[in-house]
Amino acid sequence: MSDSNVLLDVRGLKMHFPFGGGLFGGAKGAIHAVDGVDFAINSGETLGIVGESGCGKSTTARAIAQLYKPTSGEVVLDGEDLTKLSPTKLIEARKNMQMVFQDPYASLNPRMTSGDIIAEPLRIYMARGLLAMSRKETEERVELLMEKVGLSRFFKNRYPHEFSGGQRQRIGIARALALRPKLMLCDEPVSALDVSIQAQILNLFKDLQEEFGLTYLFIAHDLAVIQYVSTRVAVMYLGIIAEISGSADLYKNPLHPYTQALLSAAPIPDPGIEKKRKRIILTGDVPSPDKERTGCYFYDRCWKRMDKCAQCVPKLKEVGPGHKVACFLY
Amino acid sequence: MTDEVILRVRDLRTYFNTDEGVVKAVDGVSFELRKGETLGIVGESGSGKSVTNLSIMNMIPNPPGKIVGGEVLFGERDLLKMPPREIREIRGNKISMIFQDPMTSLNPFLRISTQMMETIMLHQGLGKKDAKAKAIEMLALAGIPAPEKRIDAYPHQFSGGMRQRVMIAMSLSCNPEILIADEPTSALDVTIQAQILDLMKDLTARLGTAVILITHSLGVVAGTCDTLCVMYAGRVVERGATEDVFAAPKHPYTRGLIKSVPRLDIASDGRLSSIQGQPPNVIDLPECCPFYPRCDQAKDICKKKYPERSDFGNGHSAACWLYSEAK
Amino acid sequence: MKFPKVRNLRIGGKADAELNEFAQSMKPVSLWADAWKRLRKNKMALGGLYIVAFYVVACLAAPILPIYHYEDQVIAHANLPPSLRPAGEVMLDTRMAYMGKVMKAEARTSFNAKEQAEIQAMKADVAINPQHKRVYVLGTDNLGRDLLSRTLYGGRISIMIGLVGTITATLVGILLGSIAGYAGGRVDNFIMRFVDILYGLPYMLVVIIMMAVFGKNVINLFVAIALVSWLTLARVVRGQVMSLKNAEFVEAARSMGASPARIVFRHLTPNTLGVIVVFATLLVPDFIMSESFLSFLGLGVSAPLASWGSLVSEGTATMELYPWQLLVPAISMTLFLFAMNFLGDGLRDALDPQSKNRA
Repeated sequence: MSDSNVLLDVRGLKMHFPFGGGLFGGAKGAIHAVDGVDFAINSGETLGIVGESGCGKSTTARAIAQLYKPTSGEVVLDGEDLTKLSPTKLIEARKNMQMVFQDPYASLNPRMTSGDIIAEPLRIYMARGLLAMSRKETEERVELLMEKVGLSRFFKNRYPHEFSGGQRQRIGIARALALRPKLMLCDEPVSALDVSIQAQILNLFKDLQEEFGLTYLFIAHDLAVIQYVSTRVAVMYLGIIAEISGSADLYKNPLHPYTQALLSAAPIPDPGIEKKRKRIILTGDVPSPDKERTGCYFYDRCWKRMDKCAQCVPKLKEVGPGHKVACFLY
Repeated sequence: MTDEVILRVRDLRTYFNTDEGVVKAVDGVSFELRKGETLGIVGESGSGKSVTNLSIMNMIPNPPGKIVGGEVLFGERDLLKMPPREIREIRGNKISMIFQDPMTSLNPFLRISTQMMETIMLHQGLGKKDAKAKAIEMLALAGIPAPEKRIDAYPHQFSGGMRQRVMIAMSLSCNPEILIADEPTSALDVTIQAQILDLMKDLTARLGTAVILITHSLGVVAGTCDTLCVMYAGRVVERGATEDVFAAPKHPYTRGLIKSVPRLDIASDGRLSSIQGQPPNVIDLPECCPFYPRCDQAKDICKKKYPERSDFGNGHSAACWLYSEAK
Repeated sequence: MKFPKVRNLRIGGKADAELNEFAQSMKPVSLWADAWKRLRKNKMALGGLYIVAFYVVACLAAPILPIYHYEDQVIAHANLPPSLRPAGEVMLDTRMAYMGKVMKAEARTSFNAKEQAEIQAMKADVAINPQHKRVYVLGTDNLGRDLLSRTLYGGRISIMIGLVGTITATLVGILLGSIAGYAGGRVDNFIMRFVDILYGLPYMLVVIIMMAVFGKNVINLFVAIALVSWLTLARVVRGQVMSLKNAEFVEAARSMGASPARIVFRHLTPNTLGVIVVFATLLVPDFIMSESFLSFLGLGVSAPLASWGSLVSEGTATMELYPWQLLVPAISMTLFLFAMNFLGDGLRDALDPQSKNRA
C-alpha cells in the first residue's frame, strides 16, 4: 500500500452533536456519533464500512463530505485537508467527491425531471463559474450518463415518481457521476432495494468503478453486500472502528468479538448451513452513542471481556498485514 | 410439526380498485399450514405477500380493496365468510399478527400493560390482576429484563428490538394456533434480528404455534422456515419444503433470486448473477406468466397463458411452462 | 473509452420495448398533470373552477361587452326593477303602479287629471326617446345606472384586489417564510417574532386608521389589506420548508455545492407550491371580503367607481324598497366566493401527494 496512491486520508475524525441546554445554550452532553476514526483509501479501491444503527457510519460519510463540520480531525482528499478549506475552495474540492444516498424516493427532488436532476451538479458549478459547458454539451453529458447507468435517454423528461426504486437509484448514481468525481461516498445505496434489483445495482457499481477508475467509500449494514463490493472493510461500533482489514481476510479470520458476532448473526440463504450453525447471540441492545465511555465500547455485550477492558479504551493496532483491530485480546 | 392441516388457503384473490386500473394484488394464492409448522412467504415488493396476509385475517381496507374470491379455511370454517363478530374472536386469540414496525403497531399513548391486558382480558376473560400477571409472565418469556417494572412503561421507552419482543409477547399471550409475522425483523439490526428470530423459534416450538413468516430475506427463510412459498406478482410461483426448494429450485425466478443474493460463505469475484428487468407492474396484468419479460428461458406460450402447476413430490411444486406442456 | 459489455445494463437485448412497456407504464405524467386529473373528478371543485373562470372572463371583457357604461346616469330610469322589457315600459309600469297605490290611499278609483297628464307625457316620451328602449336586465340603482354593468365593473375591481393582493401576499409570504424556515436560528426567530407582533395588531383598526390618514383610494386600500395578509402564508411556507430542509434531496444538493439561495428557490419552493396554491386560492375570497367590509364602512373605493362591497353598501340603504339593488351584488359576490372556496378545497385534495405512484 504505497502512500502516494492514497486518495482519501481520514485522521482522528470526531463528530459530536451537543444536546440539551436551556434558553441560553450550554450543552448538557453530546452524542459522540463519530469518536475518533482513522483510515485511508487508495485510489481505485473500495473501502466498505459496516455496522449497525448508531455506529456512526452514515455520520462519518457526511462528515467527510463536509455536510457536517467535523468536531475535530482531518479529512485529506487528494492532498487537501477539506476541514481547513475556505467555502469557495471547498466547493471546488467537492467536484472530486460526490455522494449517493440511501433512499431512492427521498434523494431525488420530486418536482424535477430526471434530466434536470442529473444536470443539476453541472448547473450548480456553471452558476458558480467553475465550469463552462454549453447547453448542448450539458444535454449530451446527461444522455451519456443515463446510458452508462442503464437508463434509456428517452426518460430524461420523466419525473422521479414514474420510475421504480432501482431506476431512481440509477438516476442518483448518474447524478453523482456528472462531475466526474474521483471519490464516491455511497451511503447504503442498496439497502432500500429489492433483492433482485440490488444485484443489478451492485454490478453497476462495480462496472462503473472499472470504467471510470472510481474510488468508493461504501456503507451498508449487510455484510454479504459489503464483502462483494469492497477491497477492504472497516467494522464500526458506537463511533469507532473496531476492526479493519482486507475483505477476504475479515471474513475468513474475524478477530474482534463484535465482528465475530456480526458474521455469526448474518443469515445465509442455505438451509443446510443455517440449521446447523451455532450462533453467537449477543445479549442486550445496540447501545446509543450518548454516554461518555471509559473502557472499551463493546464491554457491555462482549462475552470475552476482561477487567482491563472496563478501564481503558483499546486503540487500533496492526496485528497482521493490513489487518488492524481495537481489542485487548490482541 | 404434525400432519394436521389447520389452515387451508384456496385460490385467494384480492383486488384493489385504483384510478389507474384494477390492481390484482393477490391473484389465486393457495397453500396449507400444518400444526406447529413454520411457513415462509418470500417475495419482493409488489409480490402481494403482505396483502395475502391481511386477506387471511380479512383485514383489507374496503374501499379500495376487496377480497373477490377464494376461501380461507381455519379448521372447518371459512374466515372470509364469517360475520365480523366471530372474526374478532379469532383475531388476537386463535390467530395473531405481528408487523414490521413495532413503533407504529403499538399505541404510543398507552402503557404496555394496558395494551397487553386488553387482549388477554378480551379473549381469556381474566380479571385485571390475573391478566397483568399473565402479561408479566409473557414478557419474561420474551426475554424482557425486570418485566414487573417495565410493564408499566410506554412504547417509546423501549428500543426497537425490545418493542418487537413486546409485540411477540402480546401476540402469543392468548396462546394462538397461528402466528402471522409480517417482516418482523426487517427494521432491526442484524444482531437483534438474530435474537428475535431465535426467540420466535423457541417460543413457537414450546407453545406449538404454527407460524406464517413473511419476509424478503432468503437467509431468514433458510434459517427458520420448514416450508416456503415464493410469490411473484400476486401468485405463488413455487412452494415446497425449504431444503427442497433451495437445493433444487425449479422456477426461474426462484433460481434467479437465490443466485442473486450475495453470500458470506462463498467468496465471489466477478459479477453477481442478477435478474434483469424491473419488478412487475400489477395493474391490468394481461393473461400470461408475469415473469416472462425477465426470464431467460421464456417460451412463446409464456406470453399467452399462466402456467399450470407441476408437482415434484414431497409437496414441492412450481408453476412454469418448462415443466408442463401446454394442452 | 470502452463500454463494458454487460447484459444487465443494456436496455436493448430482451425486446426492450416489451420489457419497459410491461414492467412500468411510462406515460409522462408530471405531478401537476396528476393533480389536474384528480381535480377533474371532483365535481364541486370543477364547478367552482368554471364559475370562477366565467366571472374572470366576464369581468375582464366588460369594456367590450354590449352593456351600458357603468357611469351612465339616466335619472328617469332610476330604481327600475330587473326586467327583460324595454326600460320605457318598465318605467311606465312602475310609475303607474305607484300612482295606483297613491290612488288607493286616497280612496279614489281613477287617475286624476295631473296624473293622467303625467302618464301621457311619459308615454309620448317613451315613443320618441330611444333611450327608453334600453333593457336593464338586472335593474338600476338610484341614479339610473345599470346594475349589470356596475356589478361587472365592480367585479373587476373586487377580483383585481383579490388577485393582486393575493399575489403580493404570496410573494412576500414565500420570501420571508422560506428564509425563516431555511436559515433557522436567529433569523428565523426575528422574522417569526415580527410576524407574531403583526398578528397581534387589531387588523381592521389599523386598516381603518391607514385609510383615514392616507386617503381613500384603491392603492391605499390594497396596501392596507396586503400589509397583514401575508402572515399566515409565511408561517405555512416556513413550516413546509423546515420539514423539507432535511430531506435527502436537499442534502444531495448541498453536497453538490449548491448555494442556500439555489436550494431555497430551486429545490425547496417548488415542493411547497402545492400548499401555497391552496392557501392562495383561499386568500382571494379573504381579500374580497375585507375589501367589501371596508367599502361597506365607506372606506373603500369611492364613487363613481364601484366594487361589490360598495354596491352592497349602497344596496343596503334601499333594501326594503328596491331589494334587487342589494341582492344583485350580494349574490354575485357570494357566488364567486363559494366558487373560490370549492376550488380551493378541491385543489387541496388534488394536490395531496399522499397516494398514487408512490409504490
